[in-house]
Amino acid sequence: MKTHAALIATLALVALNACAPATSMDEVVIYVSQDRVFSEPVLLVYEQKTGVRVRAVYDTEETKSTGLANRLLAEKNNPQADVFWSNEPVRTLVLKERGALAQYISPQAEGIPSVFKDPQGYWTGFSARMRVIVYNTRLVKETEAPRSIFDLTDSKWKGQVAIADPRFGSTSFHVAALYAELGDERADEFFRKLKANDVKIVPGNSVVRDMVARGEVKMGLTDTDDVNVAIEDHQPVAMVLPDGDGIGVPVMPNMISLVARAPRAEAGKRLIDYLLSAEVERMLAASEAVQIPLRAGVEGPKHMPALSSFKPMTMDYDKAADRVEDVTKRLQTILGL
Amino acid sequence: MALGLAALLFIVLCALPVFYMLGVSLVGADGAFSLNHYFRLFAEVRQLDLFLNSLLLATATSLLATAIGAPLGVLLARADLPAKRALRILLIIPLAVPPYVMGLAWIYMGSDSGIIAQATGRDFLSPLTYSLTGAVIVLSVSFYPLAMLAAEAAARGVDARMEEAALLVAAPRRVLWRITLPIAAPSIAAAALLIFVLALSEFGVPGLLRVPVFTTEVFTAFSALYDFGAATALAVPLLALALMAGITARFMIGERLLVGRRGARNRSPLSLNSRRAGLAVTIALALFVLLPIAALALETGRAERMILALRSSVEAITNSLTLAFVGATMAALIGLLLGYARARMHRFAGTVDLAMIVAFAAPGTVIGVGLIGLWNRPGLMEEIYRSRLIILIAYLARLIPVAALILAAGARQVPASFEEAGEVAGAKWTRVFARITVPQMRAGIIAAWVVSFILAFGELGATVLVAPPGQATLPAHIYTLIANAPSGEVAALALTQSAVVMTLLALFAVFVFREKRLHS
Repeated sequence: MKTHAALIATLALVALNACAPATSMDEVVIYVSQDRVFSEPVLLVYEQKTGVRVRAVYDTEETKSTGLANRLLAEKNNPQADVFWSNEPVRTLVLKERGALAQYISPQAEGIPSVFKDPQGYWTGFSARMRVIVYNTRLVKETEAPRSIFDLTDSKWKGQVAIADPRFGSTSFHVAALYAELGDERADEFFRKLKANDVKIVPGNSVVRDMVARGEVKMGLTDTDDVNVAIEDHQPVAMVLPDGDGIGVPVMPNMISLVARAPRAEAGKRLIDYLLSAEVERMLAASEAVQIPLRAGVEGPKHMPALSSFKPMTMDYDKAADRVEDVTKRLQTILGL
Repeated sequence: MALGLAALLFIVLCALPVFYMLGVSLVGADGAFSLNHYFRLFAEVRQLDLFLNSLLLATATSLLATAIGAPLGVLLARADLPAKRALRILLIIPLAVPPYVMGLAWIYMGSDSGIIAQATGRDFLSPLTYSLTGAVIVLSVSFYPLAMLAAEAAARGVDARMEEAALLVAAPRRVLWRITLPIAAPSIAAAALLIFVLALSEFGVPGLLRVPVFTTEVFTAFSALYDFGAATALAVPLLALALMAGITARFMIGERLLVGRRGARNRSPLSLNSRRAGLAVTIALALFVLLPIAALALETGRAERMILALRSSVEAITNSLTLAFVGATMAALIGLLLGYARARMHRFAGTVDLAMIVAFAAPGTVIGVGLIGLWNRPGLMEEIYRSRLIILIAYLARLIPVAALILAAGARQVPASFEEAGEVAGAKWTRVFARITVPQMRAGIIAAWVVSFILAFGELGATVLVAPPGQATLPAHIYTLIANAPSGEVAALALTQSAVVMTLLALFAVFVFREKRLHS
């Protein structure tokens, strides 16, 4: 029996190895932390166009596994990936700071506004999402819905607001941006008030949206794509772009970067050129992700305002990245995470 | 030599990644040796809460799961129930469903639109949904089958002649309490320890239900702060808790394990009240199997969602099946040799047990990052790292300890005198092992294989970090899809994963059933 088992195991090992993909010249490896449903079609088009095989690793939602940024850091001494596509800035900025990214200024980046590009070329932004207030249309009238995130501290909404864990994902970007914009004192104050208003802190942005859709809470903070998925699913939710006339709407670009010492750097650069093209911005705008193009003149999603029509919240990305650890710890104390 | 090889594999696959990460945790920001990550453990008040939460979660889960599982196991062994084989398989289902999915079902049950509120008109679950109590309930439902299987096997191992003798002077209930259970107790306690360690190292459920414990803290250190050293240091109290549990269990059980005998397979004269037993089993089935599945199905809503989810997962399912099959087989094989070696040890046996328990408690993420550090190096190692073999290695890192623990218990039930008889007759060690020891450990080997397979099939923490491009396993595939999906689709994906495991379990039951008939 033992010899049998050993034989089976050996055979299986050989079989496994035989099916392992061989590395070839015409391929590129990308780590993608943009949702798979949105990014996979974009990459498939590139494969069909160029014949280059795109081998992708997709990320899980940030609250469910430790994810690709950690993998890139762990692989830093012997990189396996060529390109990193992040759907929010914080991860990219941490990777830049830790020396896991390389500089590359793509000719395709020309039309993208300079606030969304790293002057040193470690990352380039494209198609953006916004952080929005989502509310349940059966429980809250449109006229009543808050216009600013500061309205969420109003006692009228006590126990009726949900946010995702601010230590992770796009919410971590949002809080980093708020601390950069408001300064520590006012930002601390805002979160203290939110806490006093019994804010519900849940594992992810999709959970915020689901709780609002089910009416467990009346409103919450989440991302545009999350809300749109629910709207297309005919759930009773709507969104407000907050603070368009105040501190500005938090705009969250995708960020594309070349990995430091990428094994297929040239192939990586070509893929980056493609991902920064107007064509990709158009595809992401037309998809369920409803991402707004950063370039002027590219047709945006139907039900979303164009970037030029509101005041975006701008920030010094590098400064915000330096503060991630400190902000995380402050929030742990204030919100009792 | 085989034993040496198995020991070497344990050290390379299971121990090295953990030691590698411990090394990382001892390096400060400036690259020099530093204990800073560990000072923090004592400096922060928060650490004490985490410690208490982790301890409470693991202890309460271990007790509740055993309280549910052990009686069910005894009933399966000693009550006159119809279709026992089918009942057993049905009652194992919660173990086969990933705890995270159980947690989702639990969330869907609560809320004023949940299944409980709809059935009873009152929403009395919601206050508990996101709480330590909730996490204990979910994990207990997930892990009670382990206690059930251990209790049933142990009760079946009790020599029928002892019960027969006792029945002459005592009522069945008294015989159960005074003869059957005390003899079965060490095996049940061993299962309780296993459940303790599983609950301690579980991340998905406390994460989902927002219970801060060490696993979620380790996760935060990785995911929010990208600090490998701090994350590993935070895993150390977790390993210490596992070690403490192991020592406590050793104190209570010691080397006392029942010695099964061939004669013990006789039909037991003890027969518990079958009406009450039937009622208990029915309630268990309704609460722990039907209710969670119904909650998921209700949330899924439309059947086509399931079909869509299944269709998109075919490749990942085949990948997971192959890898989990090979992984479970190798883990059982290596675990068999290790477990046997440990069972025949006179010195250091306790230390080996504790090493296995601690290795098993190491968080998947720590192992995953450790594996990258060890295997992602230019040359042959890199070739392995780039292939699916690295997923297999991740499985083995997680599974060898648990397979070895189960099989050490199994090997100790084989009397050394049988082997001595074989050796006296002139057979070589390999022959004695293959012809005498292994056949007697058959039940243990099957149990170790099934548990390894189920755990491998659901493994996420380590595999998601090392899976090569395009080689996602089913859990990794599902988690990448869950990110943005509406809750109905999430429920459909969760059901899909459960359905795959349940189908396998059913196939396995048919296979074992056939085999047994052939043997008799």
